[in-house]
Amino acid sequence: METITITADLDALAKISAFITEAAERCGLDERATWQVQLAVDEAATNVIQHAYDQENPGDITLGWFCEENRFVITLRDRGRQFDPESVPPPDINSPLEERQVGGLGLYLITRLMDEARFDFRPQEGNVLTMVKYLSMSPRDDVVVMPISGRVDAVTAPQLNKAVHEQISSGTRFMLLDLSDVTFLSSSGLRALLLIRKELMTLGGELRLAGLQPQVHEVFALTGFTQVFAIHTTAEEARASFGLGRA
Amino acid sequence: MEISHRPMNRVDLLEVVGRVDAATATKLKQQIDALFEEGRYRIVLDMAGLEYVSSPGLRVLIEARKRAREWKITDLEGGDIRIANLPPKIKEVFDLTGFTSLFEMYGDTIEAVGSF
Repeated sequence: METITITADLDALAKISAFITEAAERCGLDERATWQVQLAVDEAATNVIQHAYDQENPGDITLGWFCEENRFVITLRDRGRQFDPESVPPPDINSPLEERQVGGLGLYLITRLMDEARFDFRPQEGNVLTMVKYLSMSPRDDVVVMPISGRVDAVTAPQLNKAVHEQISSGTRFMLLDLSDVTFLSSSGLRALLLIRKELMTLGGELRLAGLQPQVHEVFALTGFTQVFAIHTTAEEARASFGLGRA
Repeated sequence: MEISHRPMNRVDLLEVVGRVDAATATKLKQQIDALFEEGRYRIVLDMAGLEYVSSPGLRVLIEARKRAREWKITDLEGGDIRIANLPPKIKEVFDLTGFTSLFEMYGDTIEAVGSF
């Protein structure tokens, strides 16, 4: 974890913003997510500066961050007064101007802008705020879609195998088999699909299936292979899932 | 944050550039309060160059609009704080916090100034 410790005064806000902006960019957040994190961290730091310490005699604030897989995690620590988020009433964001109160907006923004926010108080460490932003990943653009039609059985499985292997030898690793027009799948066909899946996974790729007709889906269900394969209702949905989860 | 002030006949145009956070919100408040003290309650905030606003800045805006609207010439004519050129990411903060419905907003400063 990379950290920075600075005196919790108003001058710290610009430094904290620069530190967290660079972190977010290194972590691969897009512009909008980076800006949302900036605002959430700024609100959290403002709370510490204005409420945790006496402003005449501020203590330190320590900001840390790390990324793991698809999460950008930020911690904010201070040794000031204990902060209890339950003590802050939620803002009424629908009241008219005359009645509008602005308290509680900072905490509200933190929870709205971040995917997770947890406030802990530990006597040894003080206040620890942990905030998480999920990285939105974009689907892969190197997916090859192969429409299959007719029967997939002992007779036709070698043909399927051959077509798939031509793709693999030309560098394809992410493959979507669109089975919308497959009318029949035998155990030999299923076995061929399993081998293709295994091979692509060994090569660091993925196989996804889409558009199974009911009688084909039943073969997967009966053999328990619905749990093994990544099966999607439509080719569009399958396509958008590559690189984003269980395959 | 930088504020530039352009006085016009009936309206004052304040162009707010940069970051409005807890450290700079006071400066914005002082600038608006100074206009109020001169008896000038019709203000357009040009936010085209606003990069950032956090809750202390929102607080200044809401309190300023409340005060401006207390000043009335007739029932139909009086003070207000109106906004021009709200950038999309600031609009997102306004939407999240319910501020969008609290302010009159205009696509450009001419329209905003002309609305008074």
